[in-house]
Amino acid sequence: MKEWIIETSGLSKRYKGRYAVSNLNLKIGRGEIFGFLGPNGAGKTTTIRMLLGLIQPSGGNIQIFGQPLRRNRLQILRRVGSLVEYPSYYGHLSATDNLEAIRRIIDAPKNRISEVLDIVGLSKEAKRPVKGFSLGMKQRLGIASALLGSPELLVLDEPTNGLDPAGILEIRELIKAMPREHGITVLISSHLLSEVEQMANTVGIIRQGEMVFQDSMASLREQAHGSMALRVSDSMKAMRVLAQSGIPSQHEGALLTIGQTDDEYVARAVRELVASGHAVYRVEERRKSLEELFLRIVGEGRGL
Amino acid sequence: MKLKSFMGLLASERLKLGRSPIWLLVPVSPVIGLVIGLLTSLDGTSAAEQYAVLQSAVLTLHAMLLLPILTGIFASFVCRFEHGGGGWKSMLSLPVTRRGLYLAKFVTVAVLLGITQLLTMAALVLATYYHDIAGGIDWAIAWPSLLSGWVACLPLAALQLWASIGWSSFAAPLAINVAFTLPNILIVNSADYGPFYPWAQPALAMLSVSGGGMDFGAFTLPIENVLITIGGSFVVFLLGGLVHMQRKEI
Repeated sequence: MKEWIIETSGLSKRYKGRYAVSNLNLKIGRGEIFGFLGPNGAGKTTTIRMLLGLIQPSGGNIQIFGQPLRRNRLQILRRVGSLVEYPSYYGHLSATDNLEAIRRIIDAPKNRISEVLDIVGLSKEAKRPVKGFSLGMKQRLGIASALLGSPELLVLDEPTNGLDPAGILEIRELIKAMPREHGITVLISSHLLSEVEQMANTVGIIRQGEMVFQDSMASLREQAHGSMALRVSDSMKAMRVLAQSGIPSQHEGALLTIGQTDDEYVARAVRELVASGHAVYRVEERRKSLEELFLRIVGEGRGL
Repeated sequence: MKLKSFMGLLASERLKLGRSPIWLLVPVSPVIGLVIGLLTSLDGTSAAEQYAVLQSAVLTLHAMLLLPILTGIFASFVCRFEHGGGGWKSMLSLPVTRRGLYLAKFVTVAVLLGITQLLTMAALVLATYYHDIAGGIDWAIAWPSLLSGWVACLPLAALQLWASIGWSSFAAPLAINVAFTLPNILIVNSADYGPFYPWAQPALAMLSVSGGGMDFGAFTLPIENVLITIGGSFVVFLLGGLVHMQRKEI
């Protein structure tokens, strides 16, 4: 039995009769990096605000660490670090003082400040006022403050928003290390699949307030796997040749498509065709990228 | 919320104010009061009345205008950090109660006002020495005046804090505050409205006990009356702000 860090059932939030989030059943297991995906305005931030107790759900339940959020909010939040939308900071204070302002509230040990600055690579900038920081540095400071209380759960809402590719890479490496090095479960939201693709092991895709996909990253990849298209001289005959060698294929006009893309398999198909006298003009990989799949998932049911 | 966590919140607020321009604003009103005090001519005043006249000179502008305006500035200022860039979200995602955070902000405003009043007292002492008034400062009327002025600011502080939290803006509650403070000059003259006007309470509290010729309009009201207004409005505004804070969607 898997241990659920976050478990919601029927979670809903209604604003003036319109559901921003409806009937959301979120399940995040310990040690996972959960990518929470959806286009802007799909309800990601609303969900996260509910998970942190910033707004009250209109319906449904939230359990974090197996405890009801409604009753045990303070105990739960003591074990959660979060960064919602943009990092908030006190510009006139140094990075150290910004963290100190939070440390005094959560009562973390004093040396934790230099530890988290070290984790996010800001040790050298610790004494500078934060208003002179670049966006990427502010974002890292935001992550540092989320880590200050040595949380078991890290909730990051679009942590790479507005960062350049190098900044995104940096944050990604940082987040990837969390479960491995610190045993932290991570919930990270994004509107770009490509951003979480390389770190998340589970993804949830939300569209217009409803969860439309929730499974492992591997299973999403499975659905997005590509195919090979072969242009041959006589596709009908070629299909029969392949079928005899145990290679299933479909033909569309002059094209044959086979479902697998690994090198050996493709080489065998070509060999069989050439050996039986077929001319092979083209062998192309047809890739349905994850992004296309993602766009299809979030695009469904949206009228033009 | 435990006392220890509350002290942590207070310590955090103090750190945030640490290197901020608020410390330039705190001495402004006492310094103006001091200048007025030094420039006041006591030539035609009988020795017995000299101190009362001086105290009234030092305190009038402070109590009538500057103190209520500063109350609004302080209240806006302690919320300023949170208004910018999702600060309320990150504050309330920490293990703190909303009530605790609200009260910590209120206490911070009250302490800033207290420091202002202490500096004003210092201005009064300096002015008294400068004019070399016989008998020196009359503590028996100076302390009650400054203390009751501080108490009279608390309901206003609660109201302004409520507005500052509700408005998500630094300037809007301030503008409203100034707009409501300016009519003080007229309203303190009215025995009908003065006692119920929150912005006039500091002036009524501070100047009516000074006895410096303030025997007109709302100043003639018994101190109990003023205190009931202050106590009542304090409870209403503080609870209003707390309820608003509890329900606010962050």
